[in-house]
Amino acid sequence: MSCRELERLFVAGAPAAQIEAHRRSCPQCEVLARDVERVEGLTRGLVAPVWSPLLRQSLLSIPQMTVGCEGAALLLAERAEGEIRPDDAKRLESHLSRCEGCAEAAGVLDSAKELVAPPTPPWLATRLAAVRPETKKRSKWRMFVSGRAFIAYAYAAALAVMLLGWNPTAVVRSPGFARLGVTASQAVTVARSSVGDRLGALNERAARQIAVWKGHLGGYGRAAVANAIGIVWRPETRRAPSKPRLGREKGGADGTDAYTTAGMPSREPFPARFRV
Amino acid sequence: MTTTDEKDLVARCRKGDEDAWRELVDRFGPKVYAISYHFTLKREDAEELSQEIFLKLFENLHRYDGGFPLVAWVLSVSRNLCIDRYRRRKREKSFRFVSDEAVTSLLKSDDDPASMALKKERTQLLFSALAEIPEDLAEILILRDLNGLAYDEIGKALDLPEGTVKSRLFRARAEVARQIRERHESRGTASALASFAMAAAGVA
Repeated sequence: MSCRELERLFVAGAPAAQIEAHRRSCPQCEVLARDVERVEGLTRGLVAPVWSPLLRQSLLSIPQMTVGCEGAALLLAERAEGEIRPDDAKRLESHLSRCEGCAEAAGVLDSAKELVAPPTPPWLATRLAAVRPETKKRSKWRMFVSGRAFIAYAYAAALAVMLLGWNPTAVVRSPGFARLGVTASQAVTVARSSVGDRLGALNERAARQIAVWKGHLGGYGRAAVANAIGIVWRPETRRAPSKPRLGREKGGADGTDAYTTAGMPSREPFPARFRV
Repeated sequence: MTTTDEKDLVARCRKGDEDAWRELVDRFGPKVYAISYHFTLKREDAEELSQEIFLKLFENLHRYDGGFPLVAWVLSVSRNLCIDRYRRRKREKSFRFVSDEAVTSLLKSDDDPASMALKKERTQLLFSALAEIPEDLAEILILRDLNGLAYDEIGKALDLPEGTVKSRLFRARAEVARQIRERHESRGTASALASFAMAAAGVA
């Protein structure tokens, strides 16, 4: 194995004398140096291969065969617009076959063109048909009663009036128009008095009805008060029920509980305080 | 030609100046073809590769900013494509076989037939050994010893420090020598040994 000193000297560009000195002192490097010199001798006598005129011609025609990345960008834009010439298209294709970046750009542009017209999904037509309102058949008379028609009528009437020479202000100045004003004011007066009468009658009826309701309420109130007094001021004595209900009558003359329920335990009489 | 002139030349090429493109082709065409040939060792392949390299150069002219010599830029584009082709060729069975025709175009034809035959054998030996060594070493030897490129040009093209280029070149030569020696020892071919010794004698 070499000590690598020879390689270090070669890389450093050491003078030949220094290299010779090391070769004499290191047998491994001496062998290595001889080998390296032999290889140098193998390459020394070789000549460069001669290129053919045909190759030169071919290299000179390259600008007609392809285009640079800058030119490709312009041609891609022309191709996207559909305005590229056939020979430019060939040059562009040649470039795209070798340039990955431009080929990717071309792919994106082509896919963008496809995005403009996406395929319609089959369900969309059905949905659109479902939500679309039914178109009614328009009547042919509709055009005569539309807003536009009325505007047209107004213009036509105005035109007709002008053509006939009729002045609308003459109507105001005519005696008939004055009478029409008097009649209208009388009609308004009559209508106003009629409405006042009706309102007065309605008011009177309402007052009468309210008085009736007040009387009813007063009567009910008085009756209620009388009943309450009657209940509070009830006499102490109680009369026996007119006929037995669930038990047997044991009527005593002293007025004590003479009524017992059959089969039921007898109850204590009500305390005095609960008696009314 | 200064870097400014080279930048101007490239700018004219980009604008579609045919004269500028012709100048570029004539200036770098022979070198690119030679490098391609050393990597492929076939005339057709080298021509195809040269065309591919110049297509790439033309399409990427806008990338050259004049920051370093044009030859280094041309070299870097060439080297990348050459290495791709070299790796593809390496997978072929015939990769290590170097034909007579492959080396004939690398030799001067004014020698006598006997000397020519010996030189052919030596050159075949060299390229067979080159095929055996790692490609990062082989490419440096091809660029420096076979194409005569400067260390700084190789360094810029391969994006390596100059010291690394020198170191790899030294190891490439040593590796090639080791490959030839091993071949001699395994085959014991007298003629090969003689050719290697003759090469050494030529140097001495």
